[in-house]
Amino acid sequence: MATRREGVPHLPLHVLLVLFTLFTIYPILWVVTIAFSGRQNLAIATLPPEPTWVDRLRAITPWPEVWSLSNFSSVMTDQPFAKWMLNSAIIAAGTTVVGVFLACTAAYAFSRFKFPGQRTGMMAFLVSQMFPGTLMLIPLFIILVQWLGLGSSRLGLIVVYATTSIPFSVWMLKGYFDTIPRDLEEAALMEGASVGKIFWSIILPLAKPAVAVTALFSFMTAWNEFILAATFMDQEAMYTAPVGLRFFVGGFSQQWGYFAAGSIIVSIPVVFLFLFLQKYLVSGLTAGSVKG
Amino acid sequence: MLVGLALSLGLGLALAYGLLDRAREDAAIEREQRRNLISLNALADLAQRAGGSGNRVRAVVEATKDQLPPGSSVRVIAFSGIKLEASTFPEDQGDKAAPRRLAREEKSLYDRGQRLRAAVETNREEGNARKPEIEIELLPTGGRLFSAPVEVDGAVVGMVDLATVPLPTLERPGLGPVLLAFFGPMLVLLAAALFLRLQRQWHLVAVAAGVFLVGLGGYARYSMSSLEDGVRGSQGAVEDHLRAIAERGRAVITAQSLAAEPALQPDAWDTNLFRKPLGLLTAQGTVNEAVVTQRVEELQGQASRAFVLLRVLGLALLLFIGLGALHRFVATVVEHREAYSYIMPAMVGMVVLVFFPFIYGITLSFTDANLYNTNQPLTDIWIGLRNYAEILGDFNIARQGDGGVWVFNYLNFYWTLFFTVVWTITNVTIGVSVGLVLALILNTPKLALRPIYRVLLILPWAMPNYITALIWKGMFHQQFGVVNHVIRMFGGQGLSWFESPFTSYLTALATNGWLSFPFMMVVSLGALQSIPMELYEAARVDGASRWQQFVSITLPSLKPALVPAIILSVVWTFNMFNIIFLVTEGEPGNSTEILVTQAYKYAFQRYRYGYAAAYSTVIFGILLLYSVVQNRLSRATEAA
Repeated sequence: MATRREGVPHLPLHVLLVLFTLFTIYPILWVVTIAFSGRQNLAIATLPPEPTWVDRLRAITPWPEVWSLSNFSSVMTDQPFAKWMLNSAIIAAGTTVVGVFLACTAAYAFSRFKFPGQRTGMMAFLVSQMFPGTLMLIPLFIILVQWLGLGSSRLGLIVVYATTSIPFSVWMLKGYFDTIPRDLEEAALMEGASVGKIFWSIILPLAKPAVAVTALFSFMTAWNEFILAATFMDQEAMYTAPVGLRFFVGGFSQQWGYFAAGSIIVSIPVVFLFLFLQKYLVSGLTAGSVKG
Repeated sequence: MLVGLALSLGLGLALAYGLLDRAREDAAIEREQRRNLISLNALADLAQRAGGSGNRVRAVVEATKDQLPPGSSVRVIAFSGIKLEASTFPEDQGDKAAPRRLAREEKSLYDRGQRLRAAVETNREEGNARKPEIEIELLPTGGRLFSAPVEVDGAVVGMVDLATVPLPTLERPGLGPVLLAFFGPMLVLLAAALFLRLQRQWHLVAVAAGVFLVGLGGYARYSMSSLEDGVRGSQGAVEDHLRAIAERGRAVITAQSLAAEPALQPDAWDTNLFRKPLGLLTAQGTVNEAVVTQRVEELQGQASRAFVLLRVLGLALLLFIGLGALHRFVATVVEHREAYSYIMPAMVGMVVLVFFPFIYGITLSFTDANLYNTNQPLTDIWIGLRNYAEILGDFNIARQGDGGVWVFNYLNFYWTLFFTVVWTITNVTIGVSVGLVLALILNTPKLALRPIYRVLLILPWAMPNYITALIWKGMFHQQFGVVNHVIRMFGGQGLSWFESPFTSYLTALATNGWLSFPFMMVVSLGALQSIPMELYEAARVDGASRWQQFVSITLPSLKPALVPAIILSVVWTFNMFNIIFLVTEGEPGNSTEILVTQAYKYAFQRYRYGYAAAYSTVIFGILLLYSVVQNRLSRATEAA
């Protein structure tokens, strides 16, 4: 038998895997259930005064009593959630454009030129990744909010996100640029092309996949960021989606239906993006070792 | 060399000129403000004596209005009846003349009065001056609007407003001394170069440095004396104004037979925004020399510090140019201009928003910065190492309370550190073991449905982690959470998870364990799949058991992938802000804070920026130590 040669019978493994997978996706099923329940309640089912075992089982089964889309429609219309999503989208897009542009040029220089300060520059980028977030948060808060008056402004967040994403992007892009053979550029130089022209019309088109991946990472990071946004955005109208979702269920507010519906809307794009990007992420991270 | 001197001298003098200009402007603004506050306080005082409302208040306003600073207007508002009692504002003439009820669109006036009342009452209750009792507002015309409360028998019954016209533009400090201080040293240097025939570069540099110091020093002396004149001059001006308005006040009191007790104290009118007398004038309304001299010295101290800084900077620039460093620097930049121009944008961004904040943050950690004093110069709030001593030197971790129960001080740094370490170790252990086991199972050859399992098991990692945290927080809800439903289903009692440190910790652990195993699983799976099958076959031929195969083939091949992943995951977990912040929120009583959330709370809930910066610096130190040790270890193992 094949199983004898492979060593282990597959059936127990499948049982184990199915159980564990169910456990793993339970929270996700739970949030889907709440989202489609059409209520703000945290409970999946209302329990009778003397609940039996079956009632309790019903209360943990992730299947809504009534299916309804009302949470989705009212979170987008009655609540300012659409506005928050827009804020998030603008900020994430702005971050991506600014961050990737800066990272591309810097990575190109680091990859192609020899100049004094090259090693120091790369090291500085790497070391900056070790600065703990809270240590940066206080001065950034003082500088942006109290000095520059950029509190509750999209521009402030874009600038901060873009610069903090630069080191990771530069390292990723430099790695890719290094793999592009120099022959092409040398040929172009012979033809009399300028460095700028080489960069725009040879290197960037060749590096499109890497640039795309970097851009998607920047977008995802900005889209998911919570702490800075929660600290800088104190006007309700300027919340980003993460801060808004917290607003639904933080403190004494208990709008779990809105939260669940909003979470699903916010998560779907990034979850797919993540599944697509995950293989680049693993190799990039483990190659770069410590990155805090 | 001449160029270098010109540059640094020019720069230094320009900055000094700017500083002097600003100092004079500040002095002028302060003078105007004091005059206005005197008028305002005098009016409020007289209005109080007149009972706060009625005809006598109007008489007071009528009698004092020509003593006010030119172009300004006043109004008195009484809270009872929401009335405008008296006004000299141009818009309050004709059919809108006082006395009348405030119109709906004038509600902001009434609100401002109520704010002042609240401030006065708060300060009285707390027994200190925390809220300003005089409000200043910038008017669209460029003037300012001052408002002070009117108190009768200890209660705030009204408000006095004084609107002023914008300050006349000041004459700038004379350019003559600047030019003298600029061209004098230049000529000296030129003369030295021409007549003394200084051959060596460093002779020239020394002369240049000397004349630079003399030039800037001369201008510094000039600015100091000009500043002192300015301050003393304003005292005189304020004094005159006070005397005039006091005289008018006395006249009004007699004419309108206002309450003459307690006696008029004009010097108490010269106040700050908390209505505390400045003490620069004596009870007779003359200048109090001792206090003024002290004030002048304080100002000069600040100015001379600025000048020392300017001198150091200028000298550095001079030497930089003079000794040829600039030349070399420019040459390097020009030679590699393309490389630098490509890096410049990113570098500028990084310097402004990453490196500068980092250094600024470390600097803040030596200060007592908080919500109220971030605009003060750092030297004024410098407290040296006190924050660090407070954080690291506090060993008051636990004490034995009543009945021998140990009570922990959860705000203590070492408790939080201990908790963070436990948190990190447990999480990484769980993540690695669950991830590794799953990877081993998934790596079973010819396992059906593997891609589906894989995608579903990665989902926790793909979800934004703040959403995960909030979901789990909901699931651990005491009354409605599914976790308690499961416990009750098996006959147990639901727990209130966030009321004891241990259960609270378990919630965060469950959440973080849930979202951190997929990373380890993916990493291990990748490594497992790269192990060539031939190795196992060879081992089987040699008669190795499955366990022997695992220990001597699987584990060693996993190591290169798993070790960096573990190192990474330790740092991540150590800094896992969102989970703690959103799931346990540190409950109960800050017992489940990790270092980063604790630092955040010091900064943004207790507003102790300096302390929080020191706290974060300590965290940075720990991480740095960790990475150094980890580097050493990995080098050592590589070498072995």
